[in-house]
Amino acid sequence: MEGTTASEMEDPLSILCRQKQIALLRSLMGEPSHPTYPSVFIYGHAATGKTLVVSTLLKTLALPHAFVNCIECQTTRQLLDRILDRVANHEPSPENNYCSLNRCENMNTFVRLLKKTTEDRGIQNQTVYIVLDKAERLRNMDGNILPAFLNLSQLSGCNVCVLLLSQIVWEKFLFGFGSNHVEPFIIHFPDYTKGELLEIIATDCPEGYSVEFYSSYVNLLMSIFYMVCRDLNEIRHLAQLNFPKYVEPITKGEASEKDSHKLWRNIEPHLKKALQTVYLREVTSEQWEKFQRAETGQPGQQTSQPGILSARAQMELPFYSKYLLIAAYLASYNPARYDRRFFSKNHGKVKKSAVNRKKETSHQLLGPRAFPLDRLMAIFYSIVDSRVAPTANIFSQISSLVTLQLLAQVGHEDQLDTPKYKCTVSLEFIRSIARTVGFDVIRYLYDFVK
Amino acid sequence: TPRKDIVPHISVRRTPCKTPSKILEHARARLHVSAVPDSLPCREHEFADIYTFVKSKILDGTGGCMYISGVPGTGKTATVTEVMSFLRKEVDEDKDFPEFTLVEMNGMKLTEPHQAFVQILKALTGQKATAEHSSQLLDKYFTSAAGRKQPIVLLVDELDLLWTRKQGVLYSIFDWPSRPKARLIVLAIANTMDLPERIMMNRISSRLGLTRMTFQPYTFKQLQSIVQSRLEGLQAFEPDAIQLAARKVAAVSGDARRALDICRRATELAETAQPTGKGKGPLVGMKHVDRALAEMFSSPKIVAMRQASRQEQIFLRAIATEFKMSGLEEAPFEKVLIQHISICRLEGLHPPVVSEVVAVCRRLASCRLILLESSTNELQQRIRLNVSQDDVMYALRDHGE
Repeated sequence: MEGTTASEMEDPLSILCRQKQIALLRSLMGEPSHPTYPSVFIYGHAATGKTLVVSTLLKTLALPHAFVNCIECQTTRQLLDRILDRVANHEPSPENNYCSLNRCENMNTFVRLLKKTTEDRGIQNQTVYIVLDKAERLRNMDGNILPAFLNLSQLSGCNVCVLLLSQIVWEKFLFGFGSNHVEPFIIHFPDYTKGELLEIIATDCPEGYSVEFYSSYVNLLMSIFYMVCRDLNEIRHLAQLNFPKYVEPITKGEASEKDSHKLWRNIEPHLKKALQTVYLREVTSEQWEKFQRAETGQPGQQTSQPGILSARAQMELPFYSKYLLIAAYLASYNPARYDRRFFSKNHGKVKKSAVNRKKETSHQLLGPRAFPLDRLMAIFYSIVDSRVAPTANIFSQISSLVTLQLLAQVGHEDQLDTPKYKCTVSLEFIRSIARTVGFDVIRYLYDFVK
Repeated sequence: TPRKDIVPHISVRRTPCKTPSKILEHARARLHVSAVPDSLPCREHEFADIYTFVKSKILDGTGGCMYISGVPGTGKTATVTEVMSFLRKEVDEDKDFPEFTLVEMNGMKLTEPHQAFVQILKALTGQKATAEHSSQLLDKYFTSAAGRKQPIVLLVDELDLLWTRKQGVLYSIFDWPSRPKARLIVLAIANTMDLPERIMMNRISSRLGLTRMTFQPYTFKQLQSIVQSRLEGLQAFEPDAIQLAARKVAAVSGDARRALDICRRATELAETAQPTGKGKGPLVGMKHVDRALAEMFSSPKIVAMRQASRQEQIFLRAIATEFKMSGLEEAPFEKVLIQHISICRLEGLHPPVVSEVVAVCRRLASCRLILLESSTNELQQRIRLNVSQDDVMYALRDHGE
């Protein structure tokens, strides 16, 4: 976990608010020579200290262990090789040409080599811990991997304990596997409460300020962010990011540490802006910090500047591509039977029947529908004022729109004869496109006109 | 790691096999499937057919194919092996009878269909080659008769496993006998009668020809005489007991191995039973055979359901109730869960949480009492029963309350 200081590594008891779980794990581990539970399953939300607690505990007690993140292992071989390397204390490095100690293709070899490795290192009397972080990835590997890890101490005859760390519950593992394996011991890491979050974040108080001052700042921060975010890492990040702004009046000499009300009025709009920009990662943290240092205007103006993720709403397209995209949008969100009414010169009378109208749900809610190429071209010709020849250029623009993922082809990819498409852009986007060519989309959308 | 480390081997027997001393032990030794008798009763007709076919082909110096089919346990392999040993004996006794080479092959023992070529080549010439090369060598071998005088009998057991997508192996095996100089006789054994029509291409089944033989399942009289012939001179069974076993087996499958197994089990049961007061020693009676039959034929599912834990039984009942209510043979997990909880409430039990019910469901699925889909959608997962609903009701009838 990021932000782990050296002092926390020294003593597992200094990990805040996880005393119960640590005590439980320690009592499960017992003495190094004692046999342990064959497998322990630890689950909890993101940032509840699962990895921190387990790795700190194993490091401080100096127990032989292999800590492997399953996301880093694409194949079974990578996973098994890495575990064996860690158990043997072997580190791939330039000296050994980044080679693993063993070549281990399958579970059968792994079990044999594990026993050999522990005997080579002389730790066959101690419990060896194999920690598999992000263990939900094991479900996508070969079918025998997960049951074999659960039964590993029985299969290998070693004193070995497998710790599985995951964010999802145990029921979602092994649903189709049957039950011929040892059920793991299950430990839940509950979410931090508001008070606990406060206590943890207060530990990284910057120098020069008192802990009370910092924790009152974090309290203010949480009053805005706690509703949407209980992730410790995220809140910690935001607290560090916005602290310079908070203490700005003090450094300028406009306020003192006691003027909490003044500081609050200063910071509140700033934090609310941060909720919409930094938290959604529309503005990178670096830009945000740079902006705070530059102090130009209001923070919200950042969004209108170039180089920002939400700038996708503006896109430079060729003239006819814009019309093609508008036509595609109209074809996707309008029912085909109203095309005559919108796009032909002298359509029939509009019948009004209130009964039918009520049943229909908004097409904006249902999402885009597929339409054939003919319909797209018909709408395109009716909304473009000038005469456009159906050249190869126009048709290649349609396929470029598909490549740009503004349109999506539905059904078979190789269909040349009347292919079907869907329009995959939002209303906001199409309105901004239409504005550039001076076309009122809303007037042509059934949902808004009826 | 060197491959040599992991050669499988069977550990050597420490104490030698016991020689049978008692009557029942004698009976058991004779009833063992591996104790094939010298002459097979009730297969005289088939024996004669195969014998004349092979003998005429050998004497004529021509080649041909014969396809032998029949359900398992009807004595196909035993009859063919007996024909071969009989012919071998004839070669030894009769000077005029020509020598022949016998090549035996079992499709089940091959790792891969093309290995058949390697095996045949090795048996004929002792050469070792890759599958492709040995196929070429064999083609040459059967086209020219240079340096070869003996006719060859090729015995292919479990023919259906030699099937490949291009059917090259089957084609070769049935094409060689039709070569003018091959002098190859192929005896192919498989389980289904219509195998040539079902899986073979037309040009293979036409090469196979029309010489086919079907081994009918044994009737109860035949089974009875098989068992009796093995027990000749031993006073171990009541005649009615043998008849019961024979009739039961004939009604289901007509499998001789099954009949022998049941009789063997019955001798074991008779041995453990209390010795009756008569001095002649224990005799296998009707009740022993009946118990052996019940052990072998009855389905263990009802026993498993009766012995299941209370929550498991409730879960099974919940499935049955849900099926009855919806009228379908399939129900999503969430609906069964609702039924399960309501049954628990009705019985005054504390209703379990979802995780516990999932564990119950998984346990039942792992012993195949219920069938689950793949593991993707947890609560929508569809559940089917692997036993009939009546069985569930019958098994849980007296345990429900």
